[in-house]
Amino acid sequence: MARGLVERYVDSVAGRTGGGTWLTKNLRKVFPSHFSFLWGELALYSFVVLVATGTYLTFFFEGSQEQVIYDGSYAPLRGEEVSAAYESVMRLSYEVKGGLFIRQMHHWAALVFVAAIALHMARVFFTGAFRRPRDLNWYVGVTLLILALGAGFTGYSLPDDLLSGTGLRITNAIILSIPLIGERLAFLVFGGEWPGTDIIGRLYPVHILLIPLLIFGLLGLHLALVWRQKHTQFPGPGRTEHNVVGERVWPSFAMKSIGLMFLTAGVIAAMGAVFEINPVWLYGPYDSGAATSLAQPDWYIGFLEGSLRLMPPWETRIGGFVINNIFYAGVLVAGVIFGGLYAVPIIERWLTGDDGEHHLLDRPRDAPYRTAFGAASITGMTILFVGGAQDLVARTFDMSVGHVTSILQVLFLVAPPIAFYVTVRTCRALSARPGPERTERRVPVERAADGGYGVPYDDADIDWMVEGGAAPGHFDEITEHAAVRGPHRHASTPRPGSDGDGDSGATAVDAGAEAES
Amino acid sequence: MNQRAFIAANVAFATAVVGGITAAWGYWNGRTDHVLGIGLAVALGGIGFGLVSWAKYLDLDEHVVQQREPLQTTPAEREDFAEEVEMTSATVGRRRVLTALFAGSMGALVVGFVGPIGSLGPKPRGELNRTGWGPGTRLVTTEGEPIAVDEGTFDQLATVFPEGEVGRDDSQVVLLRMQPDVLSERTIERGAIDGWVAYSKICTHAGCSVGLFGIDNRPPEVVRQLVCPCHQSAFDPTDSARPVGGPAPRSLPQLALEVDADGFLVARDDFDRPVGPITWDQA
Repeated sequence: MARGLVERYVDSVAGRTGGGTWLTKNLRKVFPSHFSFLWGELALYSFVVLVATGTYLTFFFEGSQEQVIYDGSYAPLRGEEVSAAYESVMRLSYEVKGGLFIRQMHHWAALVFVAAIALHMARVFFTGAFRRPRDLNWYVGVTLLILALGAGFTGYSLPDDLLSGTGLRITNAIILSIPLIGERLAFLVFGGEWPGTDIIGRLYPVHILLIPLLIFGLLGLHLALVWRQKHTQFPGPGRTEHNVVGERVWPSFAMKSIGLMFLTAGVIAAMGAVFEINPVWLYGPYDSGAATSLAQPDWYIGFLEGSLRLMPPWETRIGGFVINNIFYAGVLVAGVIFGGLYAVPIIERWLTGDDGEHHLLDRPRDAPYRTAFGAASITGMTILFVGGAQDLVARTFDMSVGHVTSILQVLFLVAPPIAFYVTVRTCRALSARPGPERTERRVPVERAADGGYGVPYDDADIDWMVEGGAAPGHFDEITEHAAVRGPHRHASTPRPGSDGDGDSGATAVDAGAEAES
Repeated sequence: MNQRAFIAANVAFATAVVGGITAAWGYWNGRTDHVLGIGLAVALGGIGFGLVSWAKYLDLDEHVVQQREPLQTTPAEREDFAEEVEMTSATVGRRRVLTALFAGSMGALVVGFVGPIGSLGPKPRGELNRTGWGPGTRLVTTEGEPIAVDEGTFDQLATVFPEGEVGRDDSQVVLLRMQPDVLSERTIERGAIDGWVAYSKICTHAGCSVGLFGIDNRPPEVVRQLVCPCHQSAFDPTDSARPVGGPAPRSLPQLALEVDADGFLVARDDFDRPVGPITWDQA
């Protein structure tokens, strides 16, 4: 048979690197599938969109605070003194054909990126996937989250508009509040007293070079560790701590995953095309004497905004020195949150005394205290998030801002313990209730003429689910350690009790001959 | 074989072709507001949906079992590694002084680079405690106009700067004129004149501009507040801008006012306290 073009090229590279068996082995690598495993992929693909759109933007953006007179096509601002950075963003949005679309795509992708990371992390936390040996990858992941927030905040600040400029000013104040080194550090970062003329020019290389480089490196490590340690899986028939049940990388996993990449990019493109985001022309250029009301940052900074708004006006005096309350709200709260995230595997190991390897995931209900702790944390973060928009809440419900603030302050102390208690009780109730065993395949249910429901299979076809064995024809071993789960059964092998119809949906998986190891 | 997925994949890829062409058409016809983006979104989404449908059509929902390789280090491997470490200390680590000197030289290298890092910003030399205000400095609006003592409307907020330094960040001031009888005694003592009061515009919480002034006329009493839009700190302008709500711990520093020979408002001196959020050294 003639060899295909792709095959020939792959072979020519493999033949020069000794990668022949490695390649085949990895194409056959097995990935378990579950909808919740997609969040990490979603984050990865939004990062791809970010790099692609961001590169385009760098061709137009100018990272400079030099003052210029705006002379573009947006009439209300014409003749105003703006920074070169702001001017370049305006030019990109109004004069460059398609520039606004790419810019909005970039901003939406950033919001999706952080959201996907947060969901991915929640999945890993609630299923206990951070336990040994994946505690290592948890630390890499938390670092990636912090880098993503850093990338988001620096990018948000670059246009030098009134909203983001105010955010930078607050950042400056938070750095100033750090004990001992605050003033020196703020002067180093901002090149002197606020506002100075350096900060935009400094954030630019940090945003487009330093942070992306770190993300690339750690993302590579993150994926390499997943690849090396193999993915976790939910318990189910045929699934043990010593195997992975799922689909092979090629073609099924790869095809769906690449499909997801295009779908992600497609949805982000649709958002960029239809929904306006960060209209800097409405905020105006940064002007230190001005401020806007209803000043909410991008969603992922909301918890810090809320912590600043909800912190009572406490000032601590130590000797001849003073600690401002924004140090607690800005530095300490962030430190506790991210420090706590890093410490999750350590704390769980310490509390449970469990240092064993885990490859099977917990159902959240089966680890009530962990789940409750997560629920309490999310409750606290949500209250901080709402606190970041307490003026909007007050306006919506026609209350005074002061009252909303007091209510949220009390809730911040009271709600997490309540959430903890309720979650523990709920988990216990759920896990005590007998439920159906997890099944490998979804079973179609049909409604019969008499109004009842039934499974349109005969017993032979579904008894594997009840037994907890392998589905006829749907499992195949690609290993020599076949003894772990018994010899693989092909659909043609009649099973006891089967009436011979068991091969209806059989896929012949012909990989048994090639051992993984 | 899943016939529906087969059809879906075909339709999806065809739609993607239409999307891509629509995007190109949109660009050439200057329809970059929506048509370009939606076209590209359809192209990308079509390809994605097509690929997933294709995978479904192939019915690749397979369940393959792969064994995990053990990840833990075996005792033999550990011993091997220990041997390697031992060999290193026996060869490279044999010369103690040399090792110490190497470590010292690396440390010195780090110390040598502290200087350039320090160049990123000057050392603070009290800039945070000074502003552009001084004895006799005129208050001017953002347009540079001085303010006559007998001209203001009551309960109207203006942002003013020291003459010649309009826009200087640390010197921004909110100027208000209120009926003199609503002002507290200490506010007048600290330099209110004829109902005019001036406060630093930089919030003592996180440094935003305190740009909102509101009056609540509802009985029983009229309430006036200066509010920072960032974190909703509220200050009472009739009583030396003391904090009355929100996270700000301190009052806005008050600028003592005088009237010069021409009848314009001037500052009596710089602020008696640092403006803006308090730092470690500003107790």
